Amino acid sequence: MINASIHIAYFAPVLLLTVWALGLLLAEALIPLTARHTAWIALIGLGLTGLFTLAFDASSVSFWGDLCKWDGAAKFFNLFFVATAILVIWMGDEIQEPFSHGGGEFVVLPLFTTIGLMLLAMANDFTLFFVSLELVTISFYILVAYQRRSPVAIEAGIKYLILGGLSSAFLVMGIAYIYGLTGTTRFDLMEQFMPAYLQVYRTGIAFGLLLVLVGIGFKIAMVPFHIWAPDVYEGAPNSITAFLSVGSKAGGFIILMRVVLGIFGGVAGSHIWLPVLSVAAMLSLVLGNLAAIPQRNLKRLLGYSSIGHTGFILVAVIGAVQLAPSEARPPIMDLKTGQVAVSIYLVTYLLATFTAFIVLAVLNRRLPGLEIHHLAGLSQRSPLLAAAFALSFISLAGIPPLSGFIAKFMVILVAWNRGFYTLLGFAIFAAVAALYYYLGPVKAMYWSEPLDETPIRINLPTTIVLSILIVLLIGTGFWAQSYSIFVNDSNLAQASLHAAGSFVCKQ
Amino acid sequence: MISPLLFLLLAPFVAILVIIIFRTPPQFTAGVAAGFNLMLSLLLLYEYPAAQGGYAYVMDWPWMALSGVPPIHFHLGVDGISLPLVFLTAIVTFAAIAVSPNNVRRASEYYCYLLLVSLGAMGAFVSLDIFFFYIFHEFALIPTFLLIGIWGGQNRQFASFQVTLYLMAGSLILLAGLLALIMALPPSARTFDIVALQSFIDRHPHAIATSVQDAIFPIVLVGFGILVGLFPFHSWAPPGYAAAPPAAAMMHAGVLKKFALYGLIRVGIPMLHDGFTDWLPVMVTLLVGNFLYAGFVTIAQRELPAMLGFSSIMHMGYLFLGIACWNMIGVSGAVVLMVGHGLSVALLFGLSGEITHRSGENRFSELGGLAQRAPMLAVLFSFASMASMGVPGLANFAGELMVFFGSFVSNLPLLGPTFTVFAVYGTVITAIYQLRAIKNVFYGPMPVRYEPRPAAVEATTGETVPASLGMTDTATLPEYTPYVLLIGASLIIGFMPFLLFHIVQPSVSLLPHVR
Repeated sequence: MINASIHIAYFAPVLLLTVWALGLLLAEALIPLTARHTAWIALIGLGLTGLFTLAFDASSVSFWGDLCKWDGAAKFFNLFFVATAILVIWMGDEIQEPFSHGGGEFVVLPLFTTIGLMLLAMANDFTLFFVSLELVTISFYILVAYQRRSPVAIEAGIKYLILGGLSSAFLVMGIAYIYGLTGTTRFDLMEQFMPAYLQVYRTGIAFGLLLVLVGIGFKIAMVPFHIWAPDVYEGAPNSITAFLSVGSKAGGFIILMRVVLGIFGGVAGSHIWLPVLSVAAMLSLVLGNLAAIPQRNLKRLLGYSSIGHTGFILVAVIGAVQLAPSEARPPIMDLKTGQVAVSIYLVTYLLATFTAFIVLAVLNRRLPGLEIHHLAGLSQRSPLLAAAFALSFISLAGIPPLSGFIAKFMVILVAWNRGFYTLLGFAIFAAVAALYYYLGPVKAMYWSEPLDETPIRINLPTTIVLSILIVLLIGTGFWAQSYSIFVNDSNLAQASLHAAGSFVCKQ
Repeated sequence: MISPLLFLLLAPFVAILVIIIFRTPPQFTAGVAAGFNLMLSLLLLYEYPAAQGGYAYVMDWPWMALSGVPPIHFHLGVDGISLPLVFLTAIVTFAAIAVSPNNVRRASEYYCYLLLVSLGAMGAFVSLDIFFFYIFHEFALIPTFLLIGIWGGQNRQFASFQVTLYLMAGSLILLAGLLALIMALPPSARTFDIVALQSFIDRHPHAIATSVQDAIFPIVLVGFGILVGLFPFHSWAPPGYAAAPPAAAMMHAGVLKKFALYGLIRVGIPMLHDGFTDWLPVMVTLLVGNFLYAGFVTIAQRELPAMLGFSSIMHMGYLFLGIACWNMIGVSGAVVLMVGHGLSVALLFGLSGEITHRSGENRFSELGGLAQRAPMLAVLFSFASMASMGVPGLANFAGELMVFFGSFVSNLPLLGPTFTVFAVYGTVITAIYQLRAIKNVFYGPMPVRYEPRPAAVEATTGETVPASLGMTDTATLPEYTPYVLLIGASLIIGFMPFLLFHIVQPSVSLLPHVR
């Protein structure tokens, strides 16, 4: 573990990836690299960045004039984003149809998205937060509409662009409000003085916070800012849909936690956002899961289900909040359990979502379409693909012994601990409703009559990756202790979370 | 230390791997694993130190310690309450595998799913940790879904979804209730370990306030109630069992459903005893619904599998009654009745599958007089029906009698002599529908199509007789051995109930608050 005395060294992994991405972009323009070579170079860069990140310890430091912060959460999420990007680029290269024109950007742009996400996880300042968020969003604008000959992709791109632009505008407005009232954009300073500010400018700051939540809600596809998700999921290339579903959502959640648990983590602050997020969580749980039921297109189905999962993760986020010490049901459990639950949920979600999208990407070229009935008889045509897809859906449904169960288990545990009985009721209802649409494709694959009996062959690398993902899905579900390896220090380093129950200024 | 119980879990698991990797004949492989488990469970029953009644064959590995999550242990062990159920799981699994038709489609998948269901049930009964107790039961959910969906009969589509969604809802409510129970304790005492939890609650009987228990117990009761088919939550079971392939119905109705009753005895009532006492009138009212409502609905059924599905729901009433008495004799009776009911219901579902398979028909109106063509089936089915009716000499009688005694001497609200007289009436209902089933299937005029066709006609036309036209008997040894095995077990327990009672009773007497 590197414990850097010069704190800026903690920036090195991001810097490495930035240099690598820029170099690759130039090299791609000057040297005739094939798409495949570009992809491999990008994968090597991501691998190095991942190893480099792993080498740093999880101590809490800030640098660059406190613009950036390195802590357990930053390390965990940086690794999470690198893993996501590796899978995305591998999928794009190995499985998806090579695009007829210029494959290079399709590989390099996800690198820039990853840089943006990594910076987002380290942001300690509203300016860096906004800039990195825009880096993520703008590269996604291009990636979503990459298959520009397809009308569906164009529709997806336009929807994402317009709604993304709108939400960014709300976000800037909110940041400006909060800056105007507090005179700073730094998270840690705000966190310290927020109780004092709130006593004076309660309404104004509350208004600013709500606007910021609009921007973040768009990233995590939280109801009522979810409208884009199903259409964009359907139109984007499979690997990019997976990236949106996992990477972009996780980026939204880390910044949500930094804002609501950090800056507004005190009792006075949480009184503003807690009701808002609770209602949003309930709406996401109900709407996401119920709207997924009539879906026939698998990517749209996953889009709605991802809204539902946002609801579950929000319950865990809300579970990490501290309430007044006089509360009837004092938080007996460690407050960090809520954050651990978020991390675990995101990891299980990554495993299951990527398994599903890899299978969909493989099938994209072999089946006439990606509707549920096209899966009919898949278990006869390719047992591995059917098993992988079924396991990923059953994991998303949260059935033991798959990893998704541990995530749901943690969420229920956190909700009980904090006494959020209504939220818990909604979560249980949503989980049962979700099982219905998750079982639909399983039914199609395992007992509907196949339309076409020819076996589907898949190549060796895909087989290996899918097998690894299946082993991880089952293994991390059964041997849940494995999560402690990486999530136990994945917490935000924040004053308020350590001093549970008090919101006195630190100084 | 390795417990022999671990082998009970490993055997089906290894068999699944062998079937998948080495592509061995699946029925044989699965049968070997189930046979191994049956032998091992008999050995464990024999070796179990019955007189003390505590946990035996214990094994305790720390499993999971995440920040803020109460510690989870991989804790195995059995006592006189769970050991009979382990035996029941083993014997019903063996029978279910043995009665499956030889020519089943996609055989390796079929036997793998059956083994997974068996693994889940077995794991739930040998776990002494709430986490594993819960997830082992959930293990069986998806295999059950697939078994009903792929190999089920008519209406399988709807039935498979209904069963799975209902059971998922029940499981999640149960999970919420169990977590509520654990989180209601002071932080230092929180653990998933059943033994540690129980000893803490015994030492601090008021650790959970009565008002809190009153809030948690109904959640747990509804969760378990859905899983077992307690009266208003039972509607998933009859269509599910009617559509399921016989082996799956045998496993689920015979074994897996006992999980919820076992959970009430092991966790629900001992740990939330104040809540149980306060909710007892509601529980008793609901179980009357099982007796009467489900009983009368059973009489009205026109198809054999649907009738059996409702009858298995009806019999849950007796089991609940035995548990609700919460006295020595009632709970012991309930445990014995669980074994007896598991054996008899497995027999009935297996035989009903046999009748449907051989005659191509399961409506009473279209069946009749089959005893002429299938005397062996008639004998086996009559035995099974007698077991289900509680005729003396079979295991159910021993259990039901104890349950009625328990309820007779109980002084809890609603229970007592009057209630018992009322409840005994339920056995009459059972007799009505079981005897009618025997009459309608095996006696009376035989429809023409089951008549043997003159061999000469066959020889001249050269056409082969379709299966549904020539009703055959379970004439060969491999065909009827599994049923004879189940009937044998029921007879042994019925004639010598003390064999089981001397294992069950010491453990029941150790349960807290048992009078």
